Amino acid sequence: MTKPPAFDPELGAALSAIAEMLPPFTLDGIADARKGGAIVGPTDEELSRGGKFTVEERLVPGLNGDPDITLLICSPDNKTGGCIYHTHGGGMVVGDRRLGMDALLDWSEEFGLVIVSVEYRLAPETPDPGPIDDCYAGLLWTAAHADELGFDPSRLIVAGGSAGGGLAAALALRARDQGGPALLGQLLMCPMLDDRNDTPSAVQMDGLGVWDRGANLVGWSALLGDRRGGPDVSPYAAPARAADLSGLPPAFIDVGSAETFRDEDVAYATRIWQAGGDAELHVWPGGFHGFDMMVPTAAISQDARAARVRWLNRLLNG
Amino acid sequence: MRDLAVRLAALDADAGAALRVIAYFDSLAESRAGLQAIVRGAAVLAGCPARLDDHGRRVHVRVDAAGNAAPDPAAADQAWMRTLLVPDGSAVLALERPGEPGPVEAMILERAAGAARAVLDRTRGRVPAADPALVELIVDASAPPDVRENALHNLNLSAAAGIRAVAHPGGPALLPAGAPLPVGRAGIGPAVPPMDLPASYAAARTALRFAADGTPEDPGPTVVHADDLGAVALLADVPVDADAPDLRRLDQAAPWMLATLYAFADAPSLRAAATALRLHHSTLQDRITQAAHLLGWSITTPSGRLRLQVALALRRLRRHPV
Repeated sequence: MTKPPAFDPELGAALSAIAEMLPPFTLDGIADARKGGAIVGPTDEELSRGGKFTVEERLVPGLNGDPDITLLICSPDNKTGGCIYHTHGGGMVVGDRRLGMDALLDWSEEFGLVIVSVEYRLAPETPDPGPIDDCYAGLLWTAAHADELGFDPSRLIVAGGSAGGGLAAALALRARDQGGPALLGQLLMCPMLDDRNDTPSAVQMDGLGVWDRGANLVGWSALLGDRRGGPDVSPYAAPARAADLSGLPPAFIDVGSAETFRDEDVAYATRIWQAGGDAELHVWPGGFHGFDMMVPTAAISQDARAARVRWLNRLLNG
Repeated sequence: MRDLAVRLAALDADAGAALRVIAYFDSLAESRAGLQAIVRGAAVLAGCPARLDDHGRRVHVRVDAAGNAAPDPAAADQAWMRTLLVPDGSAVLALERPGEPGPVEAMILERAAGAARAVLDRTRGRVPAADPALVELIVDASAPPDVRENALHNLNLSAAAGIRAVAHPGGPALLPAGAPLPVGRAGIGPAVPPMDLPASYAAARTALRFAADGTPEDPGPTVVHADDLGAVALLADVPVDADAPDLRRLDQAAPWMLATLYAFADAPSLRAAATALRLHHSTLQDRITQAAHLLGWSITTPSGRLRLQVALALRRLRRHPV
């Protein structure tokens, strides 16, 4: 394999400080990673942003007799009829419904969107299909309660980053296949899509940056066990496995050029276009996984965040 | 994960923080990051806006603490923590925070300045020194206005607000608003519209005569503003060969005495003068008594002090006749 792409200068300069806070990720280390302070979302008080948002939690039924699921619901005072249903990141094994909410609240402030974030059960305690079933059950409940939550059911968007991006992509596939809610769009930030973990970028970035091939193997193995990489993986677990990417809602996909997911994310966008679909793809040069969250001040991070806002603006107001 | 970045910014004044600052800017330099990335690094790590102003190359970069490019036409505050990128002070990196830099801030300034110097030398070439012939035209009252206007245009200064002429021993220079003061002997004219620079230069040349070399033989301020002279400027009209017994007394003074007399004449109090001279105030008191005896007049009364100040000013004017 040829040498990997260089990190963006500002991102590369911050990487050593980030690496100190993100120790190597192993199956045995999942419990420690969950306790670690590095991956923490905002508190209720932070979510309310000084009263701009009404924050509540609802317990809703799981799918087919599964345990109830908690939905975190943040309603702005300037609702304009849209809603984003959010699936958090964390490699399928860590994180909770609060993780990543800062960015969603920023969008909500800008566009008046209701935000619903689902607390899905994590692998390895809950292997596939538990996590995606929880996400789908929450999506069904959210769409069915649009009136109560104060949004127009035709303006429902799924969004997520990393593992949450993979889950959001899976929700779009499943809603299409199973007659679920009609979605206005899918916003997939550096999504985790392919359990096979063998693309050129996965190999090229092995041991480098954030969420390398080894960490990715841990996440997928926790979710799929021995089925990982084999013939029996559902597209609702790993959307890259879907044979048909037609008939999906417009997609926004972004990814760094210096991360494991580069090639699977580029391929996903390409296959959507080949199937006649609508996708916007941004590959940020020299970006490692989650760069815009970890180094929000860098110029390239500012541009990456701005691109999402511009896509949302066209989707919602275009 | 957002707080990872916050932690990168929240550097305490410990050894680890200094090492992290060094590693950060070394990495930027190694990957050939641009000026804005370097200034952004300084702003984010220091937690306040940072700016780079290179007046020679006309490069101005300002970034706020959140990392956003935030140009600000206002001049840099001299009280901010800052470091010179070039010895003449025409390029400065500053953190927009007043006071003496702490250890981490000093490290940020030092490492960011080093990285910025390398970028400036690599990408912007050497400072395009303003063509001296054009500057001479701009400050020349006898040059036709259209010629001066054209020269201003060529230096991109037609719309410069509050520009000043500077008189150096070697000739004229221009000082745009906000640019750092020159070093070495200089007279600074008043801020004027660009077409009035000949008047500013005339005043600057007068001010230059009041500027000292700053040596024991010629103690005094090396940079003098025409704005600060007021009626004292009229002393420049005194013929340099006019008879002045007070000056002869000064010229007979011992080598230590001139610096002592200047410090005493310039300081608000005897104690302040002693501090400036690094003498004990009683030692200075003895010297003042001795000096007054040699001069032949009391220099501790208000009128005697004025007489001393006038004599010292006349002495500088004679040393610097043009």
